[in-house]
Amino acid sequence: MSSFLGYYRSDGTVGARNYLLVLSATIYANSVVERVANSLYGAIPLTHHLGRTQTKSDIKMTFDILTRTALNPNVGAVLIIDHFKEDLCNLEDMTEAISVSGKPVEGVNIREAGGATSAVAEATRKGLYLIRKLSNQQREEAPVSSFLFGLNCGTSDTTSGLSSNPALGHCSDKVIAQGGRSILAEFPELMGAEDWLASKAKNNEVANKIYKRIKDFEKRILATGEDIRGSQPTGDNIAGGLSTIEEKSLGGAKKSGFSTIMDVVDLGETPPGEPGLYMMYTPGHGSESISAIAAAGAQALVFSTGGGHVISHPTMPTIKITGNSKSYEAMKDTVDLDLSGILAGEMTLEQAGDMIYREVLEVLSGKLTKSEILLESTGFAIHRVGLSV
Amino acid sequence: MEKKLAWVVDPQNDNVATVLADEVKEDNVLSVDLGGKTVEVKMINDIPYGHKFALKPIQKGEQIIKYGTSIGRSIKEIQPGEHVHLHNIEPLRGRGDLAQK
Repeated sequence: MSSFLGYYRSDGTVGARNYLLVLSATIYANSVVERVANSLYGAIPLTHHLGRTQTKSDIKMTFDILTRTALNPNVGAVLIIDHFKEDLCNLEDMTEAISVSGKPVEGVNIREAGGATSAVAEATRKGLYLIRKLSNQQREEAPVSSFLFGLNCGTSDTTSGLSSNPALGHCSDKVIAQGGRSILAEFPELMGAEDWLASKAKNNEVANKIYKRIKDFEKRILATGEDIRGSQPTGDNIAGGLSTIEEKSLGGAKKSGFSTIMDVVDLGETPPGEPGLYMMYTPGHGSESISAIAAAGAQALVFSTGGGHVISHPTMPTIKITGNSKSYEAMKDTVDLDLSGILAGEMTLEQAGDMIYREVLEVLSGKLTKSEILLESTGFAIHRVGLSV
Repeated sequence: MEKKLAWVVDPQNDNVATVLADEVKEDNVLSVDLGGKTVEVKMINDIPYGHKFALKPIQKGEQIIKYGTSIGRSIKEIQPGEHVHLHNIEPLRGRGDLAQK
């Protein structure tokens, strides 16, 4: 398989889904957003607790993650709900940032609509016509080279680094071999794996960037004056046999396979067009990390989880895999693939990687992940650095 | 291929192995495949699924090697077959508590 069926966008990107995104400009639009989205077939609510009283750099980060999530090719049209008019996180600035893509953007300001109930009515009607139009678009054949592939792990145990992560690396290598791009993220969870990663860098400049950016994150941690044990590795990691952040990192890095690392990009930044593996400067918080990967335009992500997980991004299908049979049994409602055959000696890493690859292409073409069917949306969170002011 | 009870990622360099069975108890002897060469290690403790035991004697302060790379250092002497986890090893990265001293 070297292609999938997706929705072509006017900017040339290809989506795996065709959602109407109902977007909260700030926390105070959340309830209206939920009421509107719950009234419309094919609408996805995107709510959050930010957009106000943040430091300038954090409000910019909130704005970027929200608007770039809307720019992701899985989103066909956008309906923004605003409650007043904050700096950046407001209807006008967000509309301007999203409409450059050519996708339809509409909005409702709760105050200008005459309050919460009128805003729901007005926005629901706008959403109805946007979805009617979206529903007429057909999937068309798209090459794997148009795929931006997210890689992440969470609730890792020792099976992750030995089985599901290296199998995912094999899958990522296959995507890249066909001209696609992959994103490896979670920088604090790469502390201790620098030498292995740098050995895969395209050149010395990229190798130095890998060392420097991982060190940057470590400095932020050191500046707290705290021992991160208990947070990294997390309690579930420790129960699963992971003793140190270095051990977790070395296992986590394996999901990037053997492809060349082309560059390091910032949180939510879209990697350049050249095929290959890119690293993104995200934190270890699973939802913040995968939200940044979705904001970069990834159409699907594989989440490797030794312990099992529910996490799913609202608009980027989040395929969960595990190498631990007990975790699969306990969490099979939300874990898509059981790869415990690797450690049971029943399949090779390559066979498992091929299995993930087939699943990814099927999901890109419209097969629903278990978590999508259950409307899981725990995978959206916006990273922040500073205070609420 | 067959199921292994203990998994060593880098047989040349690692000084720990990961248990892949539920019922590994004190005094059990596990055969460990070190890339063609098999060694037998007698367990000093019960080892839970997914946890590590030492393959060789490890001195206090010595590096713990898995994936052929350091995953931290021992904080006490560790015997072959002994459970290796938070009680006897520590990370060296992200330690704000060490940076302050």
